[in-house]
Amino acid sequence: MSADASDLSLVRRVQRGDKGAFDALVLKYQHKLVKLVMRYVRNPAEAEDIAQEAFIKAYRALPQFRGDSAFYTWLYRIAINTAKNAVVSRDRSPIEYDLDRNSSDESYDMQGRMKDSETPEGLVLTDEIRSTVNAAIDALPEDLRTAIVLRELEGLSYEEIAAAMDCPVGTVRSRIFRAREAIDRRLREVFEGGLGRAEELG
Amino acid sequence: MNEELDSQLSAMFDDELPPAECELLARRLSRDEALKARWGRYAVMGAVIRVERGVRLNAALAGRVNVAISAEPALGNAVAPERMRRAALRWWQPVAGGALAAGVAAASVLWLHTQAPLTVAPLSARRPPTTAAAPVAVANLVPSGNNSYVTPLAPAVRPMLVPSTQLANYVVAHSMFSSPVARRNLLSSFITGEQTPAGTEAVMDEAKSNAQ
Repeated sequence: MSADASDLSLVRRVQRGDKGAFDALVLKYQHKLVKLVMRYVRNPAEAEDIAQEAFIKAYRALPQFRGDSAFYTWLYRIAINTAKNAVVSRDRSPIEYDLDRNSSDESYDMQGRMKDSETPEGLVLTDEIRSTVNAAIDALPEDLRTAIVLRELEGLSYEEIAAAMDCPVGTVRSRIFRAREAIDRRLREVFEGGLGRAEELG
Repeated sequence: MNEELDSQLSAMFDDELPPAECELLARRLSRDEALKARWGRYAVMGAVIRVERGVRLNAALAGRVNVAISAEPALGNAVAPERMRRAALRWWQPVAGGALAAGVAAASVLWLHTQAPLTVAPLSARRPPTTAAAPVAVANLVPSGNNSYVTPLAPAVRPMLVPSTQLANYVVAHSMFSSPVARRNLLSSFITGEQTPAGTEAVMDEAKSNAQ
């Protein structure tokens, strides 16, 4: 089985004009990319901006992507270069003082520029997601928890997990799926409830 | 939701699904918003398990990228003309090659036509009334130091060419009397520009006398 086959099938769809397939790639790699960019910038909001720019650059460059390397490796390089360029240009650009702007405009602008994830409800939601996932993992049966942790934390392949847990590959696939299902049942409630709360607050 | 489908989605997320199944599921994933949301939650679980501190988990980034990409042109439009251009090139390459080969062949035939009468100059020289005309290469013998070779003072004048129809008639008329071998030799020498083989004329004379 070829590694990266799933990414490649999504990439091919994007190359044929299916933008929805690019959403799936963004959803899959957004957290990894932001974490990667945070090696260069400390501010999470700035890291998200750079990651967003990297995704857009990747989208525009996808016609040139031939699949010689894994998609994430290719995306990783784009993100690193974008982050380096952003740091260089930020260091060069002078600090801007807009003395003519009155305080009410400024507060309005700050609100407008504030990312959803930086708003108080966004931060609360992030913490809630973390605690929900951790609680759901703790509640998993031992074999399911081991399988999902070996996969997500250690990055082992199904074959390697099968060898480690002394069971068939099909069992590993089933265990990981059932672990995700159990976590997802709780997580879905948080997302749906969280979005509802955000709308009420908005 | 179909459990088998979700199981496939989980395997695809881990790059553990066979490519053929990936193709099918990728198509569904790009259209099915519920499936895409589940896919996104799988990514959130991974981020939490890997303890990615500082990373916000409420998918705001994906939404912003989605809005930005919506304003971009679909890639299929950019990729298609390039593919069409390549396909057109692929189609034209053999045609262009054939046309080039045909052109070279035509040029070769024309060149042979213009060169061939030169080789039969001696043949035409024996028919003064029809071929005579222009003087044949005027070469002045210039005494040189050792008299071992001659050099023309003026560039050689090209002899008057025998009209091709007359030449053809001549060949056809003689082919009636010549043996197939001699005819072949004559024609081949005509085409390749070789001098008429010495034996050919003898064979032709013999055939002519036999016919008379």
